[in-house]
This record gives sequence, C-alpha cells and structure tokens, in this order.
Amino acid sequence: MNRISKSLVFATASAVVTLLPTLAMAGQITWWTPNWGEQRARKLAADFEKANPDITINIEVTTSQGLPERVLTALQSGAAPDIIEVQHAWVQGYAQSDLVQPVDDLLKDSSDYNKAALNYVTYQDHLYGVPYRVECIGLLYNRDDFTKAGLDPDKPPQTWNDWTADAKALTRDGVFGMAITAGGEVGNTITRALPLIWMNGGDIISADGKTATINTPQAVAAVKYYTDFFTNGYSPDSTLQNDGVANRQLFIAGKVAMYQSGQFDIAPIQQGAPNLKLGATPLPHPEGKSSACILSGWSYVIPKDAKNPTDAKKFIQFLNTTDNDAYFTDTFPARISSLQAQRFQDPLLKPFGAALADGRPAPNNPHWVQISQAFFDGIQRILTKQQDVQTSMNQTNDDIQSLLDQ
Amino acid sequence: MARSITGYFFILPAMIVLALLIAYPLVYTVYLSLTNSAGALTDRNFINVMRPAATAISFVNLIYWVGASVVFEVVLGTAAAILLNQKFPGRGFVRSVTLIPWVVPSIVAATTWAWMFHTEFGIINYMLSGAGLVRQPVGWLTDIHLVMGVMVAINVWKLFPFVAVMVLAALQAIPDELYEAAKIDGANFWDETLYVTLPQVRTVLIAVTLLLVIWGLNSITLIYAITQGGPANATLITPILIFRLAFQSFQFNQAAALSVVFFAVTAVIVAIYMRISRAGEVA
Repeated sequence: MNRISKSLVFATASAVVTLLPTLAMAGQITWWTPNWGEQRARKLAADFEKANPDITINIEVTTSQGLPERVLTALQSGAAPDIIEVQHAWVQGYAQSDLVQPVDDLLKDSSDYNKAALNYVTYQDHLYGVPYRVECIGLLYNRDDFTKAGLDPDKPPQTWNDWTADAKALTRDGVFGMAITAGGEVGNTITRALPLIWMNGGDIISADGKTATINTPQAVAAVKYYTDFFTNGYSPDSTLQNDGVANRQLFIAGKVAMYQSGQFDIAPIQQGAPNLKLGATPLPHPEGKSSACILSGWSYVIPKDAKNPTDAKKFIQFLNTTDNDAYFTDTFPARISSLQAQRFQDPLLKPFGAALADGRPAPNNPHWVQISQAFFDGIQRILTKQQDVQTSMNQTNDDIQSLLDQ
Repeated sequence: MARSITGYFFILPAMIVLALLIAYPLVYTVYLSLTNSAGALTDRNFINVMRPAATAISFVNLIYWVGASVVFEVVLGTAAAILLNQKFPGRGFVRSVTLIPWVVPSIVAATTWAWMFHTEFGIINYMLSGAGLVRQPVGWLTDIHLVMGVMVAINVWKLFPFVAVMVLAALQAIPDELYEAAKIDGANFWDETLYVTLPQVRTVLIAVTLLLVIWGLNSITLIYAITQGGPANATLITPILIFRLAFQSFQFNQAAALSVVFFAVTAVIVAIYMRISRAGEVA
C-alpha cells in the first residue's frame, strides 16, 4: 500500500513537472534585450502586461560581448526565446539557415520604415526581422576651432570641396583639420571610407557579389579623396594607429577639429570635454551628388523554435508603434514617423537623423571580414607611400576577386 | 619477448594521452586542409591561401622577426649572464630586476609598449621632442621601415632575461679551477670568456636557441596586440595570418592549409638547425 501510494505520488509529480513548461508557455513571452535599454524595456513590458493581463513577459538581459555566438547557439539549440534583438546584418544568415520565422504579417505600413533597414532583413522577398533601431556615421566638428580658423561654425562643409578647404583651414597651431581612420579596428575604416565610394558612384563589389569593383575610376577617386586628408597633412601623424575610438580621444584632447563618427560619440565627448562646443553634420558629398552612409542598427526576430510566436508577434506590434519605437531606441528609430518625437529634435542629433535616409546596407558577403581586411591593407599601403592609389586599389581588387572566386 | 610486451603495456596510457593531444590534432589539421567545408577532397585550400600577396610577405617577415629576435636575445642574454656572474655589491638585487621583463605577462607588456611608442601620446616621442632630439614625432609603429625593428626590440626586451637565467645557471656550474688554471696561464677577462666560459655553456646555448626559434615562430601575442600585423602588413607574420583566417574569417580549412605549409617550413628550419648544432658537437 505504502509502496503504491509512493509510486502514485511520484507519477503525479513527474506528470506535473513534465506538463509545467507546456502550461507556462501559454501567455508567456521570453524576450532577449540588450543591457543598454533594460530600463526602457522593463517599462514597455509592464505597460504591455497591464493592457494584456493574460500575457507575462520574461526579460532576459543580454550584453554585446559575445552576443552573436550566444544568439546563434540559442537559435540552433531548439530552446530559443520568443523574441531576440539582433543587429540587422545578422538576420540574412539566420534566414538562410532557416533559424528564424518570416514576419511579413507584422509590417502593415512598410513605407514608414527605413528602406535600408528593411533591405537588411529581407531574404527571398520575405521579411525575417522587424527593424526598430537605425544609425549612421556623420561628421562631428569643434565649433570653436571653426571660429578660430575664420570659418562659420553654423556652416559646416556640405560638399567635398568645402570639406577639403575646411580641413586645410582648420589645420593650424598643432590641431589637425580632419582625422581619418586607418588603424586599429579594421571595420572602422570601411564604415568611414565606403560611403565616400558610394557617393562617387562606385562600390567595393558588384551587386551580385561576383566581381571586385574597387579599382574603378569612381572608387579610386573616392579612395584618393579619403587618403588625401592624410597625404596633405590634415589628418594626424598617428593616423595609421587610429580607429574610431582613438580619433574620439584626439578630438576630446583638442588635437583634431573634425572626424567621422556616429551620435554614440556625443555623450563620451560631452563627458570628456564638457566645454568643447560640438557641431554635427551629415557626411559631405561630391558636387552635384548626394550623401551616403552605411546603415547599421537592430531588429526583433522570432526564432523558428519560439514557444509562443503568436503572443510574441502581438508584443512586437506593441513595441513598434510610432511612440514606443521613438521611446525604446537607443539611437534612432527605424520608423520614419517616430523621428518626429521631441527627443530627436536636439540640434546635435538632427544631422544624424537626416543622414538616415541616405543609409545603405553593407554588402552581404560570406567573405566580408576578409574583404574589409584587404581594403584596410590597401589604404595602409597608400598612407605608408608604398603604392599610389591606383596601384594599391588594383592589388586590393585582385585580393578581393580571389576571395569572391573561392 | 614477453617481458618487452609487458613494458609496452606500461607505457600505453602515456602513449594514448600523447596520441590524443598531439597526433590527433596534427592529423585532423592535415585532413581539414585537404577537404572543403562539406568534407570533399580538394586542393583549393592551398591554392586559395597561397594566392594573396600577404602570404608570401608574412613568411619573409617571419624569417626577419625570428632571425633578428634570436640573435639579439642570445647575444644580450649571454652578455647579461656573464655580467651577473661577476661578484659585485647588490648582485642579488640586480639579478632579480633583470628578470622583470620575462615575468611581466606578454599582453600587459605589449599594451604598455604600444602606448609608449604611440606617435601622438607616447612617452618616447614626448621625451625625444622634449630633449630637442626630434622635431617631428617619430612614427615608431606607423613607419613601415621602423615598425618591425621596434617589434624585435620589444621581443628581445621580453625574452633576453630568459637566456640570461639559463646561461647564468650554466655559468655557475663551471668549476672555479678552470678559471684559476686560465689565470695562471695569464688569461685576462676576455680570454676567460672566449676560451673557458663560452665553450662550457655551449650546450645550454644550443638548447636555448632552439627554444627561442620555436617560440619566435609561434609567437603572436606581442605583434597582434600592438599592430595586428600592420601597417600595410609590415609586421604580418604567418601565425597572425593563420589566426585571422581561422578565428576572424572562420575559414578553418584554409587556416589548416596554411598551418600545414607553416609546419613544413618550420620543420625544415628546425631540422637544419639541429643538423648544424650536432655537426658542431661532433667536431
């Protein structure tokens, strides 16, 4: 008798334990969100739970360190959360490997979304992510340096001719007019130089990803324009050591008057040099052409193995209303209507917001890291005067082509 | 017969561990180098890694890096050991201080040196320009003609204490009678060094040099932490190229192919060295 009752208790307990997760799934959403937006995420989750008392949101906070590996492991493990925030550029890979669900039904008003962001998350005509955050690189400058050099700080450079002329005028008294990157983080240099190539009508590889195009006249002219900032002495002596962070340090130290960066540098600059009068403008463009930038940012994806995709979709729709997207994003919202929110009317932010419309996705190629390295090496060969621009870009073109041929 | 079989059984566990730790990775690397990501047999990996100009550059740089490093490490280390073997006040203290570079973790040393050699913020340029020795800041890490020399200098600074300690130990094992005999024959300090000291530490020097060559060929930390192989591949050595291929680009098959080529080159260098040193011993 005793044994039988024990067995019964055990059987019931096992049944409960087995059933628990299934029961818990209904009305539960697990959401992986990065740490920088945690407070705002908790507020939005609470608002949603209030309006939908039958749904509970479990927030799991992620950090950028090692996130791609962590997300990939979760997606492949079969035990994925319901919503993950990932960078736009990762989504295509997930879609190709059938790890995330199509979310076409979530986007009723696609014309209200940044076009480049939607391009990133579209694979074979289906949408695999909902973009919510976008950002672009612009030009930051020291307004006092402009005044000292006899330039009007309210009229930052708009065209390439202005840009060079201003860099020349600003290079004085131990200050360098315009710092380019050509060292440190390899990716930084391509984010800053590739937009110039695009503006000038060139590209690094063809649209079909089969041909290297970095030695075309348009691309070579743009690379020459970029590297001339150093060759003419407007970029610091340490340029070959400098990436985005190093240039920010030089800007804070008052050694650099202009440099390319995103609005993520505004806060560190204001903290590091509270008296520095900061100005910002979209990247200048060649005469008669329009500006460009590499767009980056974040999207929501629903894993293939999500336990509760229905409620997850409902929650994403809530997160991406015009107001909530404007509230939640750390930089800029992917929704165009959200840009009207008060917080984006700051004069320092507006130029970055204006640049978003010119944003283009980075090429999607399995050899992208090596292509970036080949381009970076080419820029360094020019700056170290080993090769002229055309010869160097011919070699870079060969290096990239050998990667594309593999 | 039976006795010898029993013996094999005793060494079996050790052989299994060795096979798992050394033979398996070696064989697997060769396998990876000969297959594509789908596992099919191919020679493309070798063709693909040998095609870029950077591969040839990395081998040339590697020879420069190892050759220059080893020569200066051995010369400086031996000189330091001979000095530290003399009797002078505070000898124990100086011996301990000499060891510091070797004790400092490589990554800490690399980061510190990178800052000291920085063109704009570095203390070395600051002191040089402060003393009026240079007008323009020197591009220690950005000038392609200087940067490899700087890397070698940092590497020598890091490793000469190791040579010094090893040679010092050998020096202390030389019986005093030899020196006394030399003195009686009228030898001065240089004669003693040349005809007594150096021949006595020869075997240690050979072993240490071999270690230094192997470490030099495998080293990645110093250069990777300071220049990542730049500027314009001026400090790119093969191990960095292999690291980039495998862990930045995830091209494991190509990285394996380059590793196999690298292994062959290394094996040839070490074999030549051992042949020469053995020939010297016989003579």
